[in-house]
Amino acid sequence: MAEAHHEGGGSGADFDLSQFYQIFFEEAGENLDLMEQMLLGLNLETADDEVLNGIFRCAHSVKGGAATFGFSDVAELTHQMESLLDKLRRHELQPTAAMVDVLLESADASRGLLARHQAGGVGDAPPTGDLVQRIRVLASGGMSAAPAVVKPVPAPVVVEVAVVVSPTPQVAGRRTLEITIQKLEQPSQADAIAELFRDIPGLGDIKVITAEGPDRRFEVLTTSTDDDLLDLFAFHVAREHVVIIEKVAATPTVTADAASAEAPVVSPALAALAPPKFELHSTSDDFGFFDGAPGAPGTAVVPITPSLHAPIEDPAAKSARSNAKSPAASNAAPEAATIRVAISKVDQLINLVGELVITQAMLAQNSRALDPALYQQLLTGLTDLDRNTRDLQESVMSIRMIPMSIVFSRFPRMLRDLASKLGKKVDFVTQGEATELDKGLVEKITDPLTHLVRNSCDHGIEMPEDRLRAGKAETGTITLSAAHQGGSIVIEVRDDGKGMSRERILTKARERGLDVSDQMTDAEVWQLIFAPGFSTAEVVTDVSGRGVGMDVVKRNITSLNGTVEIESTEGVGMKVSVRLPLTLAIMDGMSVGVGNEVYILPLSSVVESFQIKADVVSTVGQGAQLVKVRDEYMPVIELEKVFQVPRFGEEKTSDIMVVIEADGSRVVLLVDELLGQQQVVVKNLESNYRKVPNISGATILGDGKVALILDTGALVRRSRH
Amino acid sequence: MTTLEKNSEVASAGVREYLTFRLDREEYGIDILKVQEIRGYEPPTRIANAPPFIKGVVNLRGTIVPIVDMRLKFNCANANYDSFTVVIILNLRQRIVGIVVDSVSDVMGLLPEQLRAAPEIDSVIDAESVLGLGSLDDRMLILLDIEKLMSGVDMGLVADA
Repeated sequence: MAEAHHEGGGSGADFDLSQFYQIFFEEAGENLDLMEQMLLGLNLETADDEVLNGIFRCAHSVKGGAATFGFSDVAELTHQMESLLDKLRRHELQPTAAMVDVLLESADASRGLLARHQAGGVGDAPPTGDLVQRIRVLASGGMSAAPAVVKPVPAPVVVEVAVVVSPTPQVAGRRTLEITIQKLEQPSQADAIAELFRDIPGLGDIKVITAEGPDRRFEVLTTSTDDDLLDLFAFHVAREHVVIIEKVAATPTVTADAASAEAPVVSPALAALAPPKFELHSTSDDFGFFDGAPGAPGTAVVPITPSLHAPIEDPAAKSARSNAKSPAASNAAPEAATIRVAISKVDQLINLVGELVITQAMLAQNSRALDPALYQQLLTGLTDLDRNTRDLQESVMSIRMIPMSIVFSRFPRMLRDLASKLGKKVDFVTQGEATELDKGLVEKITDPLTHLVRNSCDHGIEMPEDRLRAGKAETGTITLSAAHQGGSIVIEVRDDGKGMSRERILTKARERGLDVSDQMTDAEVWQLIFAPGFSTAEVVTDVSGRGVGMDVVKRNITSLNGTVEIESTEGVGMKVSVRLPLTLAIMDGMSVGVGNEVYILPLSSVVESFQIKADVVSTVGQGAQLVKVRDEYMPVIELEKVFQVPRFGEEKTSDIMVVIEADGSRVVLLVDELLGQQQVVVKNLESNYRKVPNISGATILGDGKVALILDTGALVRRSRH
Repeated sequence: MTTLEKNSEVASAGVREYLTFRLDREEYGIDILKVQEIRGYEPPTRIANAPPFIKGVVNLRGTIVPIVDMRLKFNCANANYDSFTVVIILNLRQRIVGIVVDSVSDVMGLLPEQLRAAPEIDSVIDAESVLGLGSLDDRMLILLDIEKLMSGVDMGLVADA
């Protein structure tokens, strides 16, 4: 849920580590499920190598992730499983039923351990020592002579362990607290507490018991400790005003009841324990919000739902919402935290919502003439529709978009290990983590990027002593950056290492019989390293240097309709720029008007804009126009001419100047007017039409019309010729 | 006997169904299976430096679809846009294209023996794009291979390479 929340937020600024935990828990859960399936389907006599490898991979992934996040108990257990599985897949051991049993139990135990970590590490860890011991015995061949017959009833030990390792993870560590905020000068300050629970995913859920008078009372279901809560509250109310009383441990029934808000259905145990004054659930009934959300517990199991919730202005509705969604979401954890949906379905959803927004805009337009006094209800309904469609659109859009930080976050650890293995010192810098990219692209770009980063570390950055000798800082720097540029996303891997040697590449290319000449430009020479099997590394290491890689990188990126460019200076460093099209990336655009037409400029390339007088434009030679902006002469491009905009007899000329920057150069565009800024969804023109010069894509405006998005890169290049 | 009744009578005898439309006074037929839907004309967004018969692109439920005016492509004298002007949305090999015609007339089933080979004529239509002529009482139907026509380089709908 935390993940969905952050994606919905649309920015990576409020990014925290728990997001990665969440992803790891999901992945690990999936891996364990998969492993279980494969183990169950394993034919002991004729064990398929593919299946054994698959099982091994699952255990391996879980182990890797667990070790990364410091869950050493999980890592230890899965490590033992992995050792056993490794022997199986190498055929050093023959799989037996006992092994399958112990592996299945270990998978269960891992789940229990993970659930405990997910709940914040509270509660007793399921014992795993026995399992570890049994796996060791099996792995050392101790029971390899056991008959390969599936025992219908496992040994008694097995049963015992199985019982221990099946906790109810949802409840682990959750406590019900009654929190009283008292003696406040302004009791409304306490309301901020309720906000906290809504804003911080995973903190727990809160219910208002007393909302009037000088004291505020809340019922809170959380896994956090009292101190943590007090620290958090300290932002809003001083510690001495807060009284926390622990109540009986919550049961899932209670949360479900709270969500469905059937006031009479109160868990008897809780009702008995509650102080007489404390009307457990009926107070929430007073708000009357729960009645409207009968499906909340059911629907919230689908993780998309929370992000679909509109930011509702009404504070009371807010608390109702947080009450309704949190218990259900926590009940659903960890298994159902995400669902996998075909991208095509999401795309269809996006298109349909787009249509809905346009229809809504049309309705809003037509209703403007109506008399508000006569049609009050209709107009109120339309206003609600407006807000809901917008929220819906935003949420649907965000389904596909994820910030680059998801990819970037994989690298620091990898680089650290790699650098220490190679005896190098490397700093890793990332920029533009918040840049959002289509999920499909993110998945496909991860491998090529990993390769490029490894290359930079292995081939680019020199050994510390070499760097000192070359007069550079001992520690090399690898920079990974992402940015929207000219209607594309540009991901750069930069290092300040030794760069590439033109001579070495040419020599190597000749050795390999490639057709090269000394007259080739640098750019052409650098492209040679993308040839299959090409490597200039002196030593083949286990990291890189075998010559497989760059060609694969290139092929992967080309298959995404992207390009790879290399800039390199020997002794100074190199930069690999991966440029990807924004098939669905959302872009901040600036709409400009020329004649009757609207074009979208990527906001990222707009530097500034202002009005000019005709006489500030000077011409050079063949009529090329230049304008002086802050002591810099820039070429002028009249959009009217580039796009042959018809003028229908109007005398108006373009007098607004927009300075854009792309590919490191600046040009000035002349337009008629600036219409505004908006987020646009970049649509591909090529899917049904063809590439249009100077246009990078199209988008659909609020009124349903298509607007073309300018390719600022192409416009800048155009001015150079 | 109406066309529809005729259709049902001979439905099983190798009949192929064609959507017929008018351009000026000429009547054309295209394979009904290529037609996705029929819509009214709405002004598209112009694309600079495109041939005149490419009117631009429209938003078809979130998809950007190019619009080709067949009347301009076939040099019709008049190409007015009014409330009767119709756009036929075609689905050709996963690509969606809209064509502007004067009106859509009918869906007709034609038997193989009703087809005549088109004679060698000098026309703006590439002879390869004409499947043949359909003879229907005293009407002449020009049957187009719309897929071939639309994917031709001169249509400028696909990149040259």
